[in-house]
Amino acid sequence: MELFLSTLINGLSLGGIYAMIALGYTMVYGIAKMLNFAHGDVIMVGGYLIYVFMATKSPLLAIIFAVVGCVILGMTIEKVAYKPLRGASPLAVLITAIGVSYLLQSLAQIIFGSANKMVLVYEFGSIDLLGVPVQVSALVTLAVTVVVMVVLTLFIKYTRLGRAMIAVSEDKGAAQLMGINVNGIITVTFAIGSALAALAGLFYLLKAPSISSTLGAMPGIKAFTAAVIGGIGSIPGAMLGGILLGMVECISYKITAIAPYTDAIEFSILIIILLVRPTGFLGKKRREKV
Amino acid sequence: MKITKILALVLAALMCLTSFAGCGEVNYAENNTEYVIGLSGPLTGDAAMYGTAVANAAQMAVDEINAAGGLNGIKFKLVATDDMHDATKVSTNYSSMYEGGMQVSLGTVTTAPGEEFKNLSADDNVFFLTPSASGDDIPEFANGYQMCFADGNQGKVAAEFVSKNFKGQTIGVFYKADENYSKGIYKQFKENLDSSVTVVETTFTDANATDFSTQIDTLKACKFIFMPIYYTPASLFMMQAKDIIAADATYYGCDGFDGIDNIDGFDITTIPQAVTMLSHFNSKATEGAAKEFIDKYVAKFGAGTLNQFGASAYDCVYAIYGAMKKAIDEGTEIPVSISASDLCEILKDQFNGGYTLEVGVTGENIKWESTGYVNKGAIQYVIKDAN
Repeated sequence: MELFLSTLINGLSLGGIYAMIALGYTMVYGIAKMLNFAHGDVIMVGGYLIYVFMATKSPLLAIIFAVVGCVILGMTIEKVAYKPLRGASPLAVLITAIGVSYLLQSLAQIIFGSANKMVLVYEFGSIDLLGVPVQVSALVTLAVTVVVMVVLTLFIKYTRLGRAMIAVSEDKGAAQLMGINVNGIITVTFAIGSALAALAGLFYLLKAPSISSTLGAMPGIKAFTAAVIGGIGSIPGAMLGGILLGMVECISYKITAIAPYTDAIEFSILIIILLVRPTGFLGKKRREKV
Repeated sequence: MKITKILALVLAALMCLTSFAGCGEVNYAENNTEYVIGLSGPLTGDAAMYGTAVANAAQMAVDEINAAGGLNGIKFKLVATDDMHDATKVSTNYSSMYEGGMQVSLGTVTTAPGEEFKNLSADDNVFFLTPSASGDDIPEFANGYQMCFADGNQGKVAAEFVSKNFKGQTIGVFYKADENYSKGIYKQFKENLDSSVTVVETTFTDANATDFSTQIDTLKACKFIFMPIYYTPASLFMMQAKDIIAADATYYGCDGFDGIDNIDGFDITTIPQAVTMLSHFNSKATEGAAKEFIDKYVAKFGAGTLNQFGASAYDCVYAIYGAMKKAIDEGTEIPVSISASDLCEILKDQFNGGYTLEVGVTGENIKWESTGYVNKGAIQYVIKDAN
C-alpha cells in the first residue's frame, strides 16, 4: 500500500510534467504540422529565467517573468526560424528545429557556463500522507497540472480563439477561407506551448533545485514520446501519454532488475506503439491516399 | 595509359613513405631545455574542480622542485591542457603535448578521457602516473600507473567497511547504471560484501537527471546509503532526500564525493544526514605531510579547490621526480632531451622494481604493483556528522 501510494504520487507528478511538455509538442504539431524539437530547450530557458529573476527574491515574480520570457521566446523562434519555412518540406523544418535546440543550449552554456546552477525557488518540505512521507512539491505539481489541463481544455472548447485553433488543425485552407488568421493562430499556439514549458521548468526546479544547459534535452524527448503514445495532435492524448510514461518510469525504477534499462523501456514503448498503433491511443485515424 | 600506371606507382610509393614516417623513432623532446610533464584534465566545465586542483597542485610541486635546484640542475615544466572531461578532446591534447616535447605525463584527471589517453600513450610508450583517473583498466598497458585507488579497489574497501559494521542489516545503494566508474565500484562492492548484509539498490542513467524522487522513495528506510557516484547527482539526491531519509542516516561515497562540500549554491550543513567518504587524503588533517600540503595549497590557491585530486597530483609529481632521481643515483643517465619512450623504460623499471614514495600527502610508503595499481592505506573521511 505504502509502495503503491508513493509510486503513484511520484509517477503522477512526473507524468504531469511530461504531459505539460507534451501538450506543447502536440498542439504545435496539430496546428502547424511540425515537430518543434526546440520545445524541450524552452523548459531550460524557463529554468534559467527563474534562476535570474530569483534575484528579485520573490518566487512569484520570478515565475511570472519566466513565463512571459518563454512566451516571447517561443513567438520569436516561430517568427524567425519557422515562419519563413512555412510550405517548405517537413524535413527542412525538422532540421531547423534541431538547429534552434542546439542554438539555445549553446547560448545557455555561453551565458551561464556548463556547471549546474543551484536555485531554490521555494521549499515546500514534505508531509505525511497516510503514513507515507510525500514531497509537497510533487502534490503542487500535480494540482497545477490538473488545473492547467482543465483550463486549456475549456479554452479550446469554448472560446473563439480555441475553436479557431481546432479549425486550423482540422483544415488550414478551409479555416483561412472562413476568415481565421492562420499565422496568428500558429503564433498563439507557440505562445501557449512555451508558457507551459516555462511551468514545466518551474516544476523541475521544485523537484530538484539545480539547472544546467541540458536540463530540457531528456524531458523534451520523453514528452515527445508521450505525445506520440497518446496520439500526436490530440490534447487529451498528450495528457494520457504523459501520465502513462511518468508511471512507467517510476514503476520501472522501482523494480531492481529492470531499473537500469528504464530509458530503454520507455523508448521501446514508443517503438511498439509506432508499430502497432501509429496514431497513438487517442490520435485520429487518417487514411493516407497513395 | 602507361603514364597513368607510372603515376599510380609513384603515388603509391609516396604513400608508403609517408606511412613509414610515422614508424620512425622521432624524439620530439630533442630540443627540450627542461623535463616536460604533460597533463590533460577538465580545467573548465562540470568537473573543473578536479582539473583545477590537479593543475594547481602539480604546478606547486614542480615549482618547489625547481626552487630546490631541479633534478641535478635540470628543471621541470608542467604543460596542462583542458579536456573538459570529454574523451573526444584528449587526442588533440595528447598530440600537442607529445609533439611539443612531453617526456612523462600525469595522464588524465578523470576516467573517461583516460580510456583514450592510455591507448595513445601506449602507442608511443609514454609513461603516465595519473592522480585520479580511477578506472580499473586505466593502467591496462605497461606504461600506465595510478596514484589513486582503482575503482574495483574502492568497492572492495567499502564492502569490507560495510561487512564489518552492518552485519545482518539492510543498506541502500544508489549508483549510475551506465557509468563505468559507478558500475565498476558497485560490482566489486557486491562481490566482496558479507552475505548477511541485505542490499536495496536503485539507479539512474540520464547524466542530466535532477529528479530523484523515485530513487529516494526506494531507499527511504535505509540508515546507510552507499553512493559510488560523482558529487553533482549526489548533492541533488541529498537535497531532495533531507526530509525523507532518516536524519541519522549516513551517506557513504568514494572519491567521486570529493568536493561535495565546495559546491556553489549547495550548503552541505543544511543536510541533516552524515556524509562520509573513502579517501586517501584528509583535507582537515592537523599534522604530517597532509597538513603541510594543505597550508601551502590554501595560501597559494585558496580553499575552494582543495581536495584529494590536488593532493594526489602533488604526490604524482614527487613520485616521478623521486623515481628519476633514484635511477640517476643508481647510475642511469637521464639527459634533458631524453625521448619519452626511453624515459618510460627507466621509470617502468623503477616503479616495478619496488620504488617507494616514503612520505606522501596521500599516504606513506606508497608503492606500485606491476599491474599499475597503487598499494597504500585508505582512510575513512567524515565530511560532516549527522546534525
